[in-house]
Amino acid sequence: MKAKKDRVYKEAPTLPSLIPPWLAAILSAVIPGLGQALGRALKRGIIIFTSFATLVGLLIWRFQVAAPRDTGAIDIVLKAFKLQPVFIVIAVFFALMYIWNIVDAYQIAKSAGKPEKRKPVLVFALILIVFFLIGWQIGKIDLYGFFTEFDDSFPILKQVLWPWEKAISYPTEEVIGTAELGFPCTDAPPPQSEPREDKPYLIADPTCGTPTMEEVGKNPETGDWERMVTPGTVITVEGFNFDPAQEVEIWWRDSAGRFYIHRDLETDTNLKVMPDEDGYFEVDLVWPFPIGDTIRTNVDGVAEWQLQGKQISRIGTWEISEELELAFVLMIETIFIGMMATFFGVILSVPVSFLAARNLMSASPFTLGIYYFVRFILNVIRSIEPLIWAILAIIIVGLGPFAGILALTVHSIAALGKLYSEAIESIDPGPIEAVQATGANWFQIVMFGVVPQIIPPFVSFTIYRWDINIRMSTIIGIVGGGGIGYILVQWIRNWKYQEAGIAVWFIAITVAVLDYVSAEIRERFV
Amino acid sequence: MLEIRNLTKIYEDGTKALDNVSFSVPDGEFLVVIGLSGSGKSTLLRCINRLIDPTEGEIIWNGEDLAKLQGEDLRKARRKIGMVFQHFNLVERSTVLTNLLTGRLGYAKTWPTMLHRFSKSDRDKAWQTLARMGIEDQANKLARELSGGQQQRVGISRALMQDPEIMLADEPVASLDPVLAHSILQHLEDLNKEDNLTIICSLHYLDLVQRYSTSVIGLREGHLVYQGTKKEIQTMTDDEFKTIYGEEAVRISDTSLEGSVGEVVAL
Repeated sequence: MKAKKDRVYKEAPTLPSLIPPWLAAILSAVIPGLGQALGRALKRGIIIFTSFATLVGLLIWRFQVAAPRDTGAIDIVLKAFKLQPVFIVIAVFFALMYIWNIVDAYQIAKSAGKPEKRKPVLVFALILIVFFLIGWQIGKIDLYGFFTEFDDSFPILKQVLWPWEKAISYPTEEVIGTAELGFPCTDAPPPQSEPREDKPYLIADPTCGTPTMEEVGKNPETGDWERMVTPGTVITVEGFNFDPAQEVEIWWRDSAGRFYIHRDLETDTNLKVMPDEDGYFEVDLVWPFPIGDTIRTNVDGVAEWQLQGKQISRIGTWEISEELELAFVLMIETIFIGMMATFFGVILSVPVSFLAARNLMSASPFTLGIYYFVRFILNVIRSIEPLIWAILAIIIVGLGPFAGILALTVHSIAALGKLYSEAIESIDPGPIEAVQATGANWFQIVMFGVVPQIIPPFVSFTIYRWDINIRMSTIIGIVGGGGIGYILVQWIRNWKYQEAGIAVWFIAITVAVLDYVSAEIRERFV
Repeated sequence: MLEIRNLTKIYEDGTKALDNVSFSVPDGEFLVVIGLSGSGKSTLLRCINRLIDPTEGEIIWNGEDLAKLQGEDLRKARRKIGMVFQHFNLVERSTVLTNLLTGRLGYAKTWPTMLHRFSKSDRDKAWQTLARMGIEDQANKLARELSGGQQQRVGISRALMQDPEIMLADEPVASLDPVLAHSILQHLEDLNKEDNLTIICSLHYLDLVQRYSTSVIGLREGHLVYQGTKKEIQTMTDDEFKTIYGEEAVRISDTSLEGSVGEVVAL
């Protein structure tokens, strides 16, 4: 933009305006920029006209997007103003810009042909402001939301930033203590559980009773039909020998063998009891109603229920969590994807770089043609992002690290081919001349005159590329090219932010270490 | 005896760098070529060892026309022609020793040299040459770590490794300060006197020309405009100078260089 403006000033009109200033103002009011163009500031006029046309097009589009259900220009504009006040700001500055365009046309036409004077820039400043404001609207920039939601997202961000709780895990085992119940009560209710030393068990009191019953009947008082619930027997349950400080879930098994977890009706959550330090707890439970109609009874006509206290208990000491191990393994895979891509890239780009070096290829029109062709291909390949190459590679070889290696190799060939060829182009012809003067043959000239000159930049560029490739390989998995990016995206999509945090940490550490190492190595060679 | 006959070089862009130049250099001569930058000095020197192919003319040396040699024959001839350059043209990232051994490439078998293997005698020769030039202790340094004067000594050493019969020196002291210039030219003079090495050297400063040359030729715009013996150059007049260096040349009295006669500066 600055360059354009400068150009406008340098080619400031030296001829008198074609039209009087007042006419320039009127013309610019009808077609912005026309007054300036006829006032001998053609380029200025074209820039102003193009800017106006573009801005009007953008505004029509944005207003329609903002108020899609309204018809009629005024309704749309009013609705947009109401929904998004930023449109009012845009409209104000647009108006200012339009008015100043008229003033500008007047000034330009008036100063045309006069001794050079600094041309006014305000109209361009206003155009820039309107572009900026529309950009704000298109980009849905919401700083208020950014700061308010930042607060809400803090718990999740904390998980990502400090995910190490998930780095270790404990092997677990499900332990169950049971008590038998019978319905209805008979002379011989189910016996109490035998107290045991080594395993958890439950003592229920009483061991027989009635589940909660539900029936639809006539309310004797109101005469209305309604659902009547008869609460079941309250059973006091004591648990023994459970793991201290580990939650216990209470489950019911009904006579048909169906399991269901006990719901705490007050909080409408699954009931969880916390045993004391001796592994003991006591809780009163209302016998819930059975789900379904099937009631199986034994020979005595008793439906046999069972109460279960279930506990997931840690056994043994901590171990590295599955997620940490996965992240670690995939990080290794990632590093090797980058390494293999660099390896193949180097091998293939060395010959390519000789074809892309102008000083070696300018001998004849034919070789020069090859030079331009190779350069063109390299530029095209380089301008396509590795992620897109990965998607193409996946089509051919399927998901996995090989696709990532292919994608990064292709991009590396193009990038290194260019860097290498520039290194070759910048070699000093002096030593080559000197080696040639000793009577050395072609191979000796290359070995003693060329190679010593290109090895250091080649090594430097190779390490630089290795660094880039490993950084790239961490994200190439996002599209399925193998490595840690793949699992990272899975974890994020499954809201496993702590696990994702582990992956992020691994990537950050690896990249930082490599950055340092590659800088160190490069320093020795350059 | 080196004989240049009707040597002409026209570059692809049409520049006539040398125009029908003829002269001869007896063995053991210290021939100095003088002339402005762009007068064809470098082209002339490079035509002799065929770093540049002459357009026309003959370069007769030991009964052979160097201008007609190709391939293996050309490389064999080059071995006997050492060359020293203004900017030394060392392989800066190689060691001094490797730079010296480069001078033996024309004699060594190709494949061992690809692995940087040189014979024992080549290595011994390298050490002897380094000792002779007084840079033995620099042998394992990288060439770029040396000072300008030291680098030019390496350049001379590399040329000496070829067992040359002729030494071409293209403004060998133009990148050096006056004291070093004398030191380097004295080395060349020693080689000229002790080894009877023919030296063809381009120089800019008249006092150096007068001090070291045994004969002089002058080039101007590709033409040979002056030929003189050591004696003749000692008594050279300003007018003669101007035919070589053009009207702009001035003669500055200069006592800083060993109180020598003077210095010509081409402006």
